[in-house]
Amino acid sequence: MDQNRQGARASYVALSIFVAVWILLPSAVRRLNREAFVEFQAPALHLLGKSRDLATFWEKKSRSVEEMSAAGRDLARINAALEIKVNALEDLRRENVRLREITRYNVPAEYMSVVARVATRDSSSWWQRIVIRKGRNDGIRPGAPVVFGNTVVGRVTAVHLTTSEVDLVTSPGFRCTGYLEGDDQNHIVLINGVAANSLGTAKARVSVIPRDYSMPAGQQARVFTTGMGGVFPSRLMLGYLDGGTYATQVGNFKESLLIPSRDLYNLQEVSVLVPLHQNPGEALMQGDQFQ
Amino acid sequence: MGWAWLILLLATYPWLLGADLATDAMASSSLVFFVSGTCLIAPCRRLRRWQAILLAASLGFLFEARRPIPDGALALTLVAASIFLSSNRPLLRNTPSMLRAAAVVNLGACLVWFISAAYVAPAPALDLGWHLALQLLLAGLVGTAGLIPIALTQNAAMDRLGVPPAAESP
Repeated sequence: MDQNRQGARASYVALSIFVAVWILLPSAVRRLNREAFVEFQAPALHLLGKSRDLATFWEKKSRSVEEMSAAGRDLARINAALEIKVNALEDLRRENVRLREITRYNVPAEYMSVVARVATRDSSSWWQRIVIRKGRNDGIRPGAPVVFGNTVVGRVTAVHLTTSEVDLVTSPGFRCTGYLEGDDQNHIVLINGVAANSLGTAKARVSVIPRDYSMPAGQQARVFTTGMGGVFPSRLMLGYLDGGTYATQVGNFKESLLIPSRDLYNLQEVSVLVPLHQNPGEALMQGDQFQ
Repeated sequence: MGWAWLILLLATYPWLLGADLATDAMASSSLVFFVSGTCLIAPCRRLRRWQAILLAASLGFLFEARRPIPDGALALTLVAASIFLSSNRPLLRNTPSMLRAAAVVNLGACLVWFISAAYVAPAPALDLGWHLALQLLLAGLVGTAGLIPIALTQNAAMDRLGVPPAAESP
């Protein structure tokens, strides 16, 4: 019994010494330890995502012929509608090319798009993030914007070999600038995530809205990225203003909440826009503790 | 057997992955399915102290790896818990005591994780008390309900590895 007590006391002393050493250790060692445990879990996350894909495949394969033919009919109708849209877009493209030629404006291809599947989602009061199945091996770098179509999903905060972590628009660590629909003077507003309530819908806050701004009648005002700061390309959609705007305590500006334009917790895949050249936001991210 | 803790960690990992899946499914509620503390109870009854310590540290680091909390906060808490439990095995003598220990350890570890997360949070949380209460309630329930299946898996793995059974009156 005494031996057991002595052993326990020795273990507590050893733990105290280890805690002191752990605190004094260079952060690179701690980061290496974290990376090792992330990489240990990465194969399981990949397996999880792929088994989900397989389950979806078999679920679709087990549908009856009647169901499939009904779905085929629906698809044919949608295809017809889309063809009309494609033609309209082709007209727009031609016009775009013509206007560019007129202004001789050469838009640089600044981003490389990497499509990635979502492996898991994780949220708490202080973060809302997803893990995607692409990482450093696929060219993803910290700070890269993550989008779905023309909608901003979030920003890459940590990159591992085969997985990356993405802070969603509603995550408190997320910040960017935006323009409001209906604001002719293009005032810049600030968007940042809000710590979520339990069981509540995650939202972001839109602040520094000018006092004289009024929302477009009969529709929700959309919020777009400005393209300033070099992280997000301009005119990507961030979401809609939630209901009305309200004055801040000081009263110089108004605030509102932002509803993301997509259900961020039901995304299956996203595109990561990796800048071909390092931007200032990315350089800042490299100094972050939790890469 | 020296590597028993590592093999036990691999045997326990599916439960941790299952908890991650449940967290994934509950993502819109901002609640985390926390079972790391529960996974420590059965091994602390049978493994040698140093093996229990290594297992506890690995469990903690696995949870921390994908979450922004200070490095080692949870792992070192679980190590302290494993030293305490493996030094006071009479506390884990029967199933009701184990269930009680699972609830307490899981709840305590969850509290440490929650406080660590708040410490490095980029913004203050809204309605913190309500969220903490819900999270701790979930951790306590999951800790108690999850002990039996997790301990069964771990005991089966330890039996196969030839780890001696827990003494009736430690």
